[in-house]
Amino acid sequence: MADPVVRVSGWRRRERRLALLAALPAFLIVAAFMVYPVGFAIYISFTQTNGLRYKWVGLKNYLDILNDPIVRAVFVNNLVFLISVPLLIFVALLVSVLMFEKVRGWKAFRVLFFIPNVLSVALIGTMFRSAFGYYGVVNSAIAATGGQRVSFFTEGSLAIFVIILALVWSGFGYQSLLLLSGLSAIDQQIFEAAALDGAGWWRRLWSITLPNIRMMLGFVFIINVLYTFSSLFGFIYVMTAGGPGYATTTIDYLVFLKAFQPGNLGPGAALAVLLFLFIGILTLVQNRVFRLGKES
Amino acid sequence: MAEETSLLLARKARPPIFIALSLLALTVVYPFVYLVITSLRSNTDYLRNPLGLPAEWTLHNFVVLLNAYGVGDAFMRTLAVAVVAVLIEVVLASLAGYSLARYAVPGGKLITGAFVSVMLIPGQVLIIPIYLMLSKLGLVGSYGGLVLVYVATGLPFATFFMILSYRSLPQDVLEAARVDGAGFFRTYFWVAMPMGVASTATLVMLEFLGKWNELLFALILLPADKQLLTPTLAQIGGKLDTNQPLVSAGLVVTAFVPLLLLVAASNYIMKGMGMIGAK
Repeated sequence: MADPVVRVSGWRRRERRLALLAALPAFLIVAAFMVYPVGFAIYISFTQTNGLRYKWVGLKNYLDILNDPIVRAVFVNNLVFLISVPLLIFVALLVSVLMFEKVRGWKAFRVLFFIPNVLSVALIGTMFRSAFGYYGVVNSAIAATGGQRVSFFTEGSLAIFVIILALVWSGFGYQSLLLLSGLSAIDQQIFEAAALDGAGWWRRLWSITLPNIRMMLGFVFIINVLYTFSSLFGFIYVMTAGGPGYATTTIDYLVFLKAFQPGNLGPGAALAVLLFLFIGILTLVQNRVFRLGKES
Repeated sequence: MAEETSLLLARKARPPIFIALSLLALTVVYPFVYLVITSLRSNTDYLRNPLGLPAEWTLHNFVVLLNAYGVGDAFMRTLAVAVVAVLIEVVLASLAGYSLARYAVPGGKLITGAFVSVMLIPGQVLIIPIYLMLSKLGLVGSYGGLVLVYVATGLPFATFFMILSYRSLPQDVLEAARVDGAGFFRTYFWVAMPMGVASTATLVMLEFLGKWNELLFALILLPADKQLLTPTLAQIGGKLDTNQPLVSAGLVVTAFVPLLLLVAASNYIMKGMGMIGAK
């Protein structure tokens, strides 16, 4: 007679093997088309190649990238786009604090503010490009009030202004939702006790609300910084194509430009790897800060 | 709708807050209203009075988009690519998520860790190697290649999402099924999947939106005459600066599906996107 324990554990082992089999297709696809390409990109970044023949050039692509004045200028552009981060957080904080008071219709507001998040960056970019175009609604309004039409996309700083506006407009709803979830986690009794002690609304905002969501604010700050470095491609592609000159080109857009320059894929790959490293480090910092905050 | 109002807020402070939020909501909603109105007029009519209402309403722009710019075909292609990619992706992610959440799979921690860490990979790192790999496989310019890329780039988040949702299911129900002798697939199909249907639906919608809105890979992998909707719109927007009503019509067509989805399932979508942020 077979020992029942052995049979059960044999059955368990079979189950576990089946489970592994069920997880395998997803794992293999990710390994083949996400993990392997990253390795491949790193390899390409050390070569001079047209995609058919590869010539090892060591660190040359990286050195070229770091010495390239265009790359430096573009990196500065990314830093300029960081202006959007405090603006975005300010608006999102304002909205979340107001929504937290749960005035009439706050749930509807939540959905309305969320609308831009289901639309593509390319679509929102096209919307802004069209609104700020020569015949767009903004220039029509300027002309109607007797002003001169402004060519927003032929001057770098104006174009950057429009892109930042698009970033804030499309981003604040989602960020305020995140902050709202942080606010909802605060113990309501603290507010009530403070109110009993005579602390007014502003006082409570400053001494209770803000300190309690500072981790959430830090988190929102970092994801927005990450976003400005990795996800402006759609905006730039449809609004300015990086121009005038390189005035609105960001690192992620430059990777796209360099990627399909005829002749040599190496420098594009090197820039992409550097971007990846930069994003990876920022994310590690984020996890570190976030975890430390949770423990304390 | 049941409203619970904060008790701590002075009654007289409520109207100003409501008005402030309403004004902000107007800046979000009005552009869409303006787009719809602009899309329903001719260009000459628009140029005569861009800020007012049209003198004459027309569907002409939509007809032009359909006939001269192939927007109808692009719409159908996008729908097909997105549906197929999401279907494959969610089936694989659901299976993998269930196994990794519920079984001591050999190497399970490693696999889960791999899914989580590749979520960080930006698309820009992938474009060169993916293009070269797909061109070696003869898949550049084909919808199959694009579907493959969409499935692969979507799977890490999708699997992670399913791991989290299967972990949150009550342990005892699944355990009871197993004690009754139901095997892996029985438990999965008859117990776990029905219980996880809400989160699966959320994932389907999020991933569908992601595919519908994707630009970068479609742009580099498909030729102009086989292009999907979002890149087509980007091209029209860039070329036709002088015809606002036509561009507006393109925007309306592209925005229509995501907005419909949001109206139909705002709770699911907002909860799901909240999870993306909280990962």
